[in-house]
Amino acid sequence: MKSLILVALMVVGIAALSMAMTIGFCVSTLNNPYFVSFTNGAKAEAQLLGINLIVMNANNSNSTQLNQVEDLIQRKVDAIILNPTDSDALVPAVIAANKAGIPVITLDRSVNGGKVDMYIASNNVEYGKLEAEYAVKLLNGKGDIVLLTGIPGASATRDRTKGIMEYLSQYPNIKIVANQTAQFDMATAMSVMESILVAHPNINAVIAENDEMALGAIQAIKAAGKSGIIVIGGDGIPQGIQAVKDGTEAVDIAQQPYKMAALGVSAAFFIVNGLSISPTSLSMPLFPVTKDTVNQWIASGD
Amino acid sequence: MTEILKINNICKSFSGVTVLKNINFSIQKGELHAIVGENGAGKSTLMKIIAGELEPDDGKIYLNGTEVKFHSPIDAIRAGISLIHQEFSLVPQLTVYENIFLGREISKKFLKINFIDKKAMKKAALEVLKTFGMLNISVDSKVKNLSVADKQLTEIAKALSTNSSILIMDEPTAALTLRETELLFSILKNLKAQGVTIIFISHRLEEIFEIADVVTVLRNGELVGTKKIDEITMEEVVSMMVGKSMKSRFPEKPIRAISDEKVLEVKNLSSDAFKNVNFVLHKGEILGIAGLVGCGNMQVGESIFGLRDFDGEIYLEGKRVDISKPTDAIKAGIFLVPEDRHDLGLVLQRSVKENHALPNLDLFSEFGFVSQKEEKQSVRASISYLNTKVSSINQRVDNLSGGNQQKIVLGKWLVRSPKILILDEPTRGIDIGAKYEIYKFMYDQALKGVSIILISSELAEVLSLSDRILVMSEGRITGELDPKNASQEDILKFAVKGKES
Amino acid sequence: MNALSNGFIRKYGVIFGLVGIIIFFAIESPNYFFTPSNFILISKQSSINILLALGQMFVILTAGIDLSDGAIAGLVGAVAAGVTVTTGNLFLGLIAGLGVGIGFGIVNGIIVAFAKVPAFIATLATMSAITGITLIYTQGEPIWNLPSSFDFIGQGSLFDIPFSIILMALSFVVVWIILERTKYGRHVYAVGGNIKASRAAGVKISSVLISVYAISGLLAAIGGIILASRLGTAEPTAGSGYELDAIAAVVLGGTSLFGGEGWVVGTIIGGYIIAVLNNGMTIMNISAYYQEVVKGLVILLAVMLTSFGKKYWNE
Repeated sequence: MKSLILVALMVVGIAALSMAMTIGFCVSTLNNPYFVSFTNGAKAEAQLLGINLIVMNANNSNSTQLNQVEDLIQRKVDAIILNPTDSDALVPAVIAANKAGIPVITLDRSVNGGKVDMYIASNNVEYGKLEAEYAVKLLNGKGDIVLLTGIPGASATRDRTKGIMEYLSQYPNIKIVANQTAQFDMATAMSVMESILVAHPNINAVIAENDEMALGAIQAIKAAGKSGIIVIGGDGIPQGIQAVKDGTEAVDIAQQPYKMAALGVSAAFFIVNGLSISPTSLSMPLFPVTKDTVNQWIASGD
Repeated sequence: MTEILKINNICKSFSGVTVLKNINFSIQKGELHAIVGENGAGKSTLMKIIAGELEPDDGKIYLNGTEVKFHSPIDAIRAGISLIHQEFSLVPQLTVYENIFLGREISKKFLKINFIDKKAMKKAALEVLKTFGMLNISVDSKVKNLSVADKQLTEIAKALSTNSSILIMDEPTAALTLRETELLFSILKNLKAQGVTIIFISHRLEEIFEIADVVTVLRNGELVGTKKIDEITMEEVVSMMVGKSMKSRFPEKPIRAISDEKVLEVKNLSSDAFKNVNFVLHKGEILGIAGLVGCGNMQVGESIFGLRDFDGEIYLEGKRVDISKPTDAIKAGIFLVPEDRHDLGLVLQRSVKENHALPNLDLFSEFGFVSQKEEKQSVRASISYLNTKVSSINQRVDNLSGGNQQKIVLGKWLVRSPKILILDEPTRGIDIGAKYEIYKFMYDQALKGVSIILISSELAEVLSLSDRILVMSEGRITGELDPKNASQEDILKFAVKGKES
Repeated sequence: MNALSNGFIRKYGVIFGLVGIIIFFAIESPNYFFTPSNFILISKQSSINILLALGQMFVILTAGIDLSDGAIAGLVGAVAAGVTVTTGNLFLGLIAGLGVGIGFGIVNGIIVAFAKVPAFIATLATMSAITGITLIYTQGEPIWNLPSSFDFIGQGSLFDIPFSIILMALSFVVVWIILERTKYGRHVYAVGGNIKASRAAGVKISSVLISVYAISGLLAAIGGIILASRLGTAEPTAGSGYELDAIAAVVLGGTSLFGGEGWVVGTIIGGYIIAVLNNGMTIMNISAYYQEVVKGLVILLAVMLTSFGKKYWNE
């Protein structure tokens, strides 16, 4: 009975603590499924913990995001969870939060300056490396491949391309016959892939730096009436997972945006309540989803 | 008198078309030299060459006896020659004094930094205006708030402030009222007295005979002659311009009896531009509505055509009609040939055919599809009736001369068998030959029973063509005259009535 | 001669441009680029942009601009896909999509014609609003698992010709007839050339203005449906940026941004220039960094040639 009261008191205590807790959640964009799932994870966790979560969408604009962080500082939020639009451009935002004494947690992308209390991300170099690894494995170390890269200059593009190139350089029999950007966009990927197929009708594989481009490539291959081309994508969006299940996408290097954001929110909760966390950076594991592992992945529920 | 400018054998052609051929003449210091010629005679090109805007293909220009070569207008301005275009080169948002010193701002140093010295500029601007008797302009007003006449004076002041000894003016009176023209002329006389040489392009021969000392006539890019104004008559100038002797600028008025049949009656027409306008228009009648610019006659015409809001009643053939937009007037058979055909009459970048057809597409189309055949027939018929000169019916109208453009505007309404034609300054900016044809066309239409309202500030035109004249002043009808026994002075008397009282 | 040359340069300069680009790629890549199948591919790839450009052309001819047509294409793709999936009825999906396209077009037109908001600002605002509505409608998630009947529009063929090309060709013919052979088309040109003179000639200005935006919305809707169908997916951000390619195609084709002047065939050629450049450079595996520069320069060069040509002949 006594312990029951204690538990009840604790619950009330936590509720009281979190009643006052407001956390700003700055997401870089909300117009692709990866970040939608990411934001949903944060919202769900915040609801669980009774946190008032202010979601701000920067529409991929550095200056918009900087303004939003400044607004949150003005509103004296208890913590800011930042999914930066750019690693360098948001440094001033982090410094401003530091000055105001507001803890900062960065998610999915790092910030190259200021004091960050917690950083959680998938490793994009690793992401690219895994894609390349599967390509080599599925092609038995020999074949012509097409590389579809993301938005030129974006950090995810840089890191994933780096991982792919570093890994492939060890395999001289793998030849990149075309290397084109498709802007992380499905429609662009389809058009680009259609044109590439004109010049290179006999390619063996496509590595796309996200699922949307992989899906665009799959559409192009289908429209050209071709088959047997291995398509590798990543992020693990539902449509990508479905494509793996259908056998059109060979591997999907799945990230776990939902869990990542949820973790970010609970980290903020602890930090605001005065608990220290170590380590202060966390790498979210990547999960290569293949036909063999797809059911396992679906069952795990992210 | 000493020769200030000598033009020697100037030739110019554009993409193979000769525009000026062996032009030779000279201008004396301090004279007012008029250049006349029909549209396309080469006047503007010649002036642009003198002012450095164009370079001649051949020939020489001597200024004060020495040969000059201008590669840009700035060269000419430095040599003391300024050209004032019909379209002004003023910045509307700036004040008069800022415009006068545009690009040559007077500055003062403060802490080693150059600041614009507004006081000095105002003072200097005021001095220029005072020297030449342009006292009615305030140096502080923004140019956009000035009347056309004052804008022109500002432009002149701007030229004079650069110490121009030769001032070239391209049709300076085209957009001026009678009074403003008088003011301009008195200023020009003043300039002349101070030794400024003025070259003056105009279509209005009366003006030239009023003010010029010498007239040079160009025709088709050739110089026909240079004459002292007191050694030549207006008829002689006209025949030099058109290349044949023309008895009169106006065709003979056909003798006809005008019926008492009322086609149009307006009762108590009022708006912000006119008050209590009442008149009757008979079948086949040419009714002139004269007055100074701004007297409201133009607005009366535009209101009857549905372009302006007004109070009052309009009766067409005895029946009340409600006209609130042009479509209403068009349905009623009332058409307007506007004063500014570029603004209201034509779609400049479209073809002769399309402009002709625009208000008439309902006649040429079935289920919304235009019949190419009927359309072509109609435009060809209208072109041949009006003697419009076009290279093809697909030619863009902005490539046509003013007279031919006006004929396109007239022609498009003829298709609809007009009951009433409102002609607002129908011959403005049109050469003499085309004017004559338009007058003949008006008589022809009147004989066919079309009633015409002629709105004009050219008094000779109103007197010669009208069967009856109404004169407006300050938005009211101040008099009715019978042109058979009225003079220009009689019209003017009514035109200034109300202004003086 | 003068007027003839002027029109000649304006009209046919852009054709020489396209032919020049094709010759260049044909020499560089004779085996892959210069093949019938690749030309069908280019047509297919250009069809969406050309549909948007044809609609855009109506608006630009009236001296307006429609910045929202890409956003409308995106929303229509989502609505058509969404309604098709939820009702299981393709016909309902298409009707809903086309209705949404025309509806937002009419909204644009009313804002421009009656509220007298400049077209640039009005459609910039609706572009933003429509993009937002698309995100709300889709909740940021793509709509997929579309029935195969939906996929036919963008992926199927009739007599070996891709259906999207047939739709584009039909739209071209209809637009050409409307602009060159109907009373309405004449009114569009006239209103763009001189709105006051058109009113004085009895043209109903506001109905012309509203209808051109409605047409732009309709053609953007068709483009949006093809886009979603081609991908088998309606993406929440589909169509963004398409308005700029459409405007580029129209201007490349010689239509004046000041209104009143333009040529339907030119718009098609403008669309092809953009598609051929994208296709040819990708086939040659030119880096993305350089592709953007080349595209910009070619567009600039083409427009400059046209305007220099005009100026030279006018002198």
